[in-house]
Amino acid sequence: MAIETPTKPTLGDKIYDALFHNYVWKSIFRTGYPNTPRNQMLVVATNVFLHLHPTRIHRTHVKITHTYCLGGLSFFMFLGLTITGILLMFYYVPSVDRAYLDIENIQTNVQFGQMMRNLHRWMAHAMVILVFLHMMRVFYTGAYKPPREFNWVVGVILLVLTFLLSFTGYLLPWDQLAFWAITVGTNIAGSAPVLGPKSRFWLLGGLQVGPDALIRFYTLHVIGLPLLAAIFMAVHFWRIRRDGGLARPL
Amino acid sequence: MATAVVARPVARPQARARDEEVLVWPDLVFIEFIAAMLFTITLFFLATVMNAPLLDQANADVTPNPSKAPWYLLNLQELLLHMNAAMAGVIIPSIWLGIMAAFPYFDRENDGQGVWFGTERAVKITIISGLVGIIGTWFLILWDSGKIAFFLNDWFGLSGGDNLRFLENVRSMQTQLPWPEWASDITYLPFNLKLLASDAPGGPTEFQNLDFPGWLVEQGIPIMAIVGLPSLMIYAMWKAGWVLTRRDALLALFSGFIGAYGILTLVGTAFRGQGQELVFPWELKVSEGIPGQE
Ligand code: HEM
Repeated sequence: MAIETPTKPTLGDKIYDALFHNYVWKSIFRTGYPNTPRNQMLVVATNVFLHLHPTRIHRTHVKITHTYCLGGLSFFMFLGLTITGILLMFYYVPSVDRAYLDIENIQTNVQFGQMMRNLHRWMAHAMVILVFLHMMRVFYTGAYKPPREFNWVVGVILLVLTFLLSFTGYLLPWDQLAFWAITVGTNIAGSAPVLGPKSRFWLLGGLQVGPDALIRFYTLHVIGLPLLAAIFMAVHFWRIRRDGGLARPL
Repeated sequence: MATAVVARPVARPQARARDEEVLVWPDLVFIEFIAAMLFTITLFFLATVMNAPLLDQANADVTPNPSKAPWYLLNLQELLLHMNAAMAGVIIPSIWLGIMAAFPYFDRENDGQGVWFGTERAVKITIISGLVGIIGTWFLILWDSGKIAFFLNDWFGLSGGDNLRFLENVRSMQTQLPWPEWASDITYLPFNLKLLASDAPGGPTEFQNLDFPGWLVEQGIPIMAIVGLPSLMIYAMWKAGWVLTRRDALLALFSGFIGAYGILTLVGTAFRGQGQELVFPWELKVSEGIPGQE
């Protein structure tokens, strides 16, 4: 190995030092800018968000065609939906008198309101599709096999939760589309043997889609189901690490 | 008596192969970042050019025709047209979710794990059973909506005459066969067990008096089709020497499901017009079609 002779720091080096090696930066990130293997591992290990990952992964798993990023993108949609959803909550009141007018109001009077609503809608569709495709990729790569059995089960639960999240959100605009789609949907649920009519009543808070249904769907949509989904996602991600990362041939 | 504890092999996390590993930062984080950016840009673009639908305010007195569930439930709504509501809407999807959740407990071998289509014959099985799911489901839907009989008659001048009318679709087996009187009122349980909701559209709902032709059409034939046809497919593939392992069987089952599910969703979304009549997408008034395209 050739011996490097130290050169004088260039202007670039000085700016770099000033940006990344100062007291404030280090108080936040501990490591410097992750440009050495040591710092790159440290940043993943010490940052709470990056720490969802291991510091190193098998090289076949960074190939895009292995996962197509589908699980990660499902999660990304979940995050995006949370952000746009919170913004919509500022303006939306789940009462039969106001819901529809609030949506109109969001679209016409709120800065970027239409944009937020559109984003929330299309992301929700995207999430349903992405989660389904993610399930297909996991199946066709045989990644449910031991020791990942239980994580597949957690996945099936997440699939159901994703459908339910989307379904409960569908009612909230309180327009004809929402009202009748939920009427049809809950009629399907209500036809179940033994528990059907009861569960339909429980879901709607009555016999018909009305004010009680709206507040129930709203509560489930903005807190109940997201909370459950977040818990199961936490388990899902934790299990991926515990099961030794993503599946690869033995 | 003491029971012996038999040691069973327990799946453990795989040992890591350090020399095969790359650093998450930058290799993975970079990819994640790009993927997230691509999606952000695409979605922002979509949100600029296409508005989320908003129709008139909800009105319980004005029922749109057709009324459709959200698109990802239209597969169930489509099934609903062909059989007992509880079966199509709740029982079949619940059982299927249970079956899917049980996949890893049925197929416990590690062969083919961690690579796309990692076992021999996997691609072949997937394609064939996917096609069977797609074509078979299409065929069944066409048949049950009476289109097959219609085409045979209209295009080829073939008509079975009145004797074969019962083959026109599923329902005609109830209406076009000379069932004896008693067949539609069989007392077979001494108590009135209401298993399926009595206000569910059509079909026998109380077990005390069985309407056999009705039961056959609403539940019997659909169960036979949904359980029988996939079993038949897997059996045939086994006989043909394609399905040899549990993984193979699951590949066939899952791919068949994907095909059928896709077709059901597609037909429910784009091929069902007023009164849930089967029509071609271009015959569908735009306002009736895909929810949100008004
Ligand atoms: C909200 C829904 C979901 C989220 C956010 C999610 C997220 C993820 C992520 C980020 C991964 C890492 C690898 C990858 O991106 O493919 C993963 C892996 C996995 N997921 Fe999901 N997932 C969801 C739903 C599902 C569903 C529906 C299933 C199956 C029914 C499933 C089963 C699995 C399994 C078995 C793995 C391990 C894959 C392997 O080892 O290669 N997940 N998930």
